[in-house]
Amino acid sequence: MKHILAVARKEFRHIVRDRSTLFLVLFTPTLLLVFMAYALTADIHHVAIAVLDYDRSPAARAFIQQITAGDDLDLYTQAVSFDELDRLLLEGKIKAAVVLAPGFSRSLLTLKGVPLQVIIDGTEPESGAFAVDHIARRAEAFVAQALGAQLEARGLDAAALTPLDVRVRAWFNPGLKPRNDIIPGLISIVMGMPALSVALAIAHEREHGTLEQLMATPIGRAELMIGKILPYLLVGLVNVALIPALAISLFHISLNGSFALFFALSAVFLFSILGMGVLIGVLVRTQAAALALSFLLIFYPGFFLTGIFFPLASMPEEARMEAMFLPGTPYAAITRGIFLPAVGLDVLWPYVAMLIFQGAVFTGLAALFFRKKLG
Amino acid sequence: MPNAETASPAVISLHGLRRDFKKLRAVDGLTLEIASGELFGLVGPDGAGKTTTLRLLAGLLDITDGSARVAGYDLKSRAEAVKRRIGYMAQRFSLYAELSVQENLDFFAEMYDVPAGVRAGRMERLLDFAGLSAFRQRRAGKLSGGMQKKLALACTLIHEPEILLLDEPTTGVDPIARREFWNILTDLHLRGVTIVVSTPYMDEADRCSRVGLMYAGRLVACAPPRAIRESLGVDMVIVHTGDWRAARRVIAALPGVREVQTYGEALHVLVDDGKRRRKDISRALKRAKIACRNIRVSPPRMEEAFISMIRTLETGAAAPPPAETA
Repeated sequence: MKHILAVARKEFRHIVRDRSTLFLVLFTPTLLLVFMAYALTADIHHVAIAVLDYDRSPAARAFIQQITAGDDLDLYTQAVSFDELDRLLLEGKIKAAVVLAPGFSRSLLTLKGVPLQVIIDGTEPESGAFAVDHIARRAEAFVAQALGAQLEARGLDAAALTPLDVRVRAWFNPGLKPRNDIIPGLISIVMGMPALSVALAIAHEREHGTLEQLMATPIGRAELMIGKILPYLLVGLVNVALIPALAISLFHISLNGSFALFFALSAVFLFSILGMGVLIGVLVRTQAAALALSFLLIFYPGFFLTGIFFPLASMPEEARMEAMFLPGTPYAAITRGIFLPAVGLDVLWPYVAMLIFQGAVFTGLAALFFRKKLG
Repeated sequence: MPNAETASPAVISLHGLRRDFKKLRAVDGLTLEIASGELFGLVGPDGAGKTTTLRLLAGLLDITDGSARVAGYDLKSRAEAVKRRIGYMAQRFSLYAELSVQENLDFFAEMYDVPAGVRAGRMERLLDFAGLSAFRQRRAGKLSGGMQKKLALACTLIHEPEILLLDEPTTGVDPIARREFWNILTDLHLRGVTIVVSTPYMDEADRCSRVGLMYAGRLVACAPPRAIRESLGVDMVIVHTGDWRAARRVIAALPGVREVQTYGEALHVLVDDGKRRRKDISRALKRAKIACRNIRVSPPRMEEAFISMIRTLETGAAAPPPAETA
């Protein structure tokens, strides 16, 4: 016990006095969270489009005005030929183009099918799909309006004709704002940083020869592992306190559940992920290798396997099995659970059990693989 | 088992100790007994296996073959028990650079379970002993090379080990710090601590009670320094002449001359028989009309003994041919 405290105190002093380590553990998680959250949840606005109007009627002009109203789609230019559209798309000046066929206004008046062509840049499906979706909705509204006028002229009530009223309501995330869903998930990735730090710290000791001196003392292997984990857990908790504040103030996400529960379960997660970091530190000889292995085992799987971006349910069985060994998987479920539907321990306990189990396995393996021998 | 030379019991006894790395046999069948209270010097060229030997003794490397007892424990099965009884100082500076002198000492006191009651007094003595009392708040990384070595020594002494294993503790340290460090070692030697120290410096080897010469993983000579110097069967003739360049050519061609070394304008000539060759050299110089200002016979120093032995080993144990060395 006294050995553990001595190692922890020494390590804590190292963190505080070594500026790069301090920066790595104290600021990178929050910094990373801000960067990633902005990058991944940026809403699409001001998509440039061009219009090729072969109809040149007042109805066509009204239609063009309607679809480019607001700041979602910007009219880049009125093109005069398909060749021009082709060029504009190739040069990336526009992401989509709308073509109005010669019979546009006539079809509208005679209640026939309205010919409308939308061309999108398939290399940027995000913007293209957004433009198509937007144009289709505006066109629908425009046509409905035009139809309404027609129907009224014939003495029919347009509202009475509306056959179906479908309204989608997303639970826990009103308006399906992606941030609400992604940010709690991202927390599980950025909180992997303390694990990287501890892996680097052990490799640093090996590189600088201090581990050799430490091995010459009677310190126990488990004592060393736990003593290494403790200070990073402590510093990691500073981040855990900062993150909800950041999520609320910068991204307007509400923490629906209990902060105390989030804090406590984050501590459990930190224990688990730091166990993984210590294991990585024990397995490698250099800091470069520690960095590479941390990315391979902590950060990449964090993105792809923990169900933040790709739902676990849609993964093959093997990938799901693999995901179960990553502390990020249960923690992503915990952060989402606490931030969004505000669930408590009664629901989250299996995930907590999983984290504790993983942490014990990682730390145990680290103590097992760490031999107090050189070479 | 009592040592043959001193009556003290052996505190380190190695029998056929071997350590292989992937492509290298670093220590090859080391058999050696070191008695309690000895100051044992381990010398040998780079790569001879000195560091590996010390790491094996400190329990930091697995033993490939053979047996080793240190401080009464079998090293293979009781390495952790051995660690409590020894102090090991690695060749590289291996303390925590961000911690202060005091904090480093505290840390190692904790690691070795030094009782709180004796800790403060012992630390005071060690700091004083190492001349670091004025620097206790300074970060270890900011100390001079010599002070870092002394701090490392203080840290290995914090649990008052009965055996000290020091791997080239004075390499890269200035002569004054080196002298101070050896004064501390002599002090410890007087108090009865057993010390095994590896060193590239032959003047340091001369200060040991016994010297072991390692070559290619083997212990090729092991005796008190004086015996090593004498066992060589060489004498040294020191010659001061007017024209040392011409004299060097003349002397190197004489029979019985093993080696001519240049020290400034003096020539150190290693010969098989000092008295006889001194006359030969005088005569040869006179014949070549080279003025000889001073010529005298001197016992060879450790340095010459060492180089001569290594040369002999490198040429495959054959008698070394007369060689010119600058």
